[in-house]
Amino acid sequence: MTRLLVTGVAGSLARLTALALQRDGHDVAGVDYRRRPKDHPDALPYTQANYNKTRIEDVVRRFRPETLLHLGRVGNLKLAVGKRFDLNVVGSGKLFELAQKYDVARVVVLSTFHIYGAHPANHVPIAEDEPLRSGADFPELSDAVQLDNLASQWAYRYARPETVVLRPTNVIGPDIKNAISTYLRQRTVARVLGFDPMWQFIHQTDVVEAIRLAATTPKLIGVYNIAANGTLPFSRALEECGARAWPIPGPLATQLLRTMGRFGPALPPYLVDFCRYPVIINDARFRAETGFVPKVGVLEALRSTVSTVDRRD
Amino acid sequence: MIGDLAKASLDPEVVAAFDRLAIRTDELGYDPWGFHRDSARVLYSLSRQLARYFRPVVTGLENLPEGRVLIVPNHSGQLPFDGMVIAVTMLLEAQPPRLVRAMAERWVPTLPFVGEAFSRSGVVVGDPINCKNLLEHDNAILVFPEGARGSGKPWARRYRLEAFGRGFMRLALQTGTPIVPVSVVGAEESIPSITALPWLAKRLGVPYIPVPPHLPLLGPLAYLPLPTRFYVDFGAPLTFEGPYDDEDEAIQEKVDVVQATVQGMIDARLALRPGVFT
Repeated sequence: MTRLLVTGVAGSLARLTALALQRDGHDVAGVDYRRRPKDHPDALPYTQANYNKTRIEDVVRRFRPETLLHLGRVGNLKLAVGKRFDLNVVGSGKLFELAQKYDVARVVVLSTFHIYGAHPANHVPIAEDEPLRSGADFPELSDAVQLDNLASQWAYRYARPETVVLRPTNVIGPDIKNAISTYLRQRTVARVLGFDPMWQFIHQTDVVEAIRLAATTPKLIGVYNIAANGTLPFSRALEECGARAWPIPGPLATQLLRTMGRFGPALPPYLVDFCRYPVIINDARFRAETGFVPKVGVLEALRSTVSTVDRRD
Repeated sequence: MIGDLAKASLDPEVVAAFDRLAIRTDELGYDPWGFHRDSARVLYSLSRQLARYFRPVVTGLENLPEGRVLIVPNHSGQLPFDGMVIAVTMLLEAQPPRLVRAMAERWVPTLPFVGEAFSRSGVVVGDPINCKNLLEHDNAILVFPEGARGSGKPWARRYRLEAFGRGFMRLALQTGTPIVPVSVVGAEESIPSITALPWLAKRLGVPYIPVPPHLPLLGPLAYLPLPTRFYVDFGAPLTFEGPYDDEDEAIQEKVDVVQATVQGMIDARLALRPGVFT
């Protein structure tokens, strides 16, 4: 039995991970900067604490986790840039400092494959040690790049805690409410005219399993891509989800998505480039070192993501 | 309806050739680069119709070795009809049929529709990692070491090769891949251009802007390719040995051998061909 502290536990993926680890018999507690959600399960301890304020130290001091799962990267672009930077970069730095101070043995940081950036010159597949292009094109992602850089530095600079950084591809599933899952659930969506890049998706249960392996595999250190089986064109994914796709000429698409995003769920502008150019990642290293085998096929993952939506006209 | 049209346009010989190909795709029929067998059958059927326009005369296909191979031709003709004719030829006339993976310039994926059609038919971005991955899986790779400098050449420099890049040689050495030199004669005259307008092209962010001599007379119609006859000659495979990360000068010596071979094949064919259209 291990004591695990999970950040971002108001979010679906962190909660699912925390509950799965609890079922494995571990002692799990959750923390989030957000207010406790109404449907938060009682059996999972929950503390509201900002990652870059003093209260987070009390949480760590009292619970004394052996493993810290930092799954609480804030992707919400509606949050002001400064606030996101505080939580993602300053807050993560604080968490790592606490992990050292209170002798945490393992830190797992959930990053994202978005930081590689969708670029016409991207080769296939992309491995972990390649440049992160997204920051140059999209300042919205610079905090994500910096969080990943920080965590990667810890991984290779400090022997304790052992740090594992995970860069999963598009995470989808019935419980996931990130930008891409929300987008796939729309009845009508916009896509970029004349472009149809290959995409990868990973189902929530496979990500939970990957995080579990990252938390429990002995002597694991470093940065790992996480993908699942199967790549498919973006249009084919939309088709599988039953969404009607309107092709929008490229120059208009960014502006349209920015405008639509103000009124409701839409793709964040930086994802427009992902509708143009592929970012196919290679997770061979993670599979080899942890024995990870994703179980949910790409079509099943897509179908399950929209299973809660009524598609009847 | 588009699906029906696509089915109707399928060429039975293209379909038969694809049935004989061993390509690694997932259960949806895609490979990670975006190649799709069903789409490729349609695109190759259309390309074959286009290729027929140039009535290609092909020699030396028996020189294609089994397994991994780098196909290295000269590049000319403003639009990549030379690549298209080579790809169709290798699919339909080589024994067994070969799906050639052409290496495209890095800006090709930025072209709407074109980038998509290219990737469905097996074209990939010309990047050393893509190339190495595909060679290690014993693919045939088509690379134009002259790049856009070759295809955008004006009339005055026709059939004189631009300097070959060195990347293909490093990859050949690294992966132990034989190089098949190829000459394409006839593409150069299909869309003649008197200048590439380098100053305007640079400002517009495109590699070159061809100016056909009959542009004032015909307007945009001047960009339609002329029905020149293509001669495609596949030479004997060249193999090279040595460290792939050697100094540029050492790699260049090997590259020069390939370039001289291709130039020699071009000159030989030019001396033999009866005329531009015959």
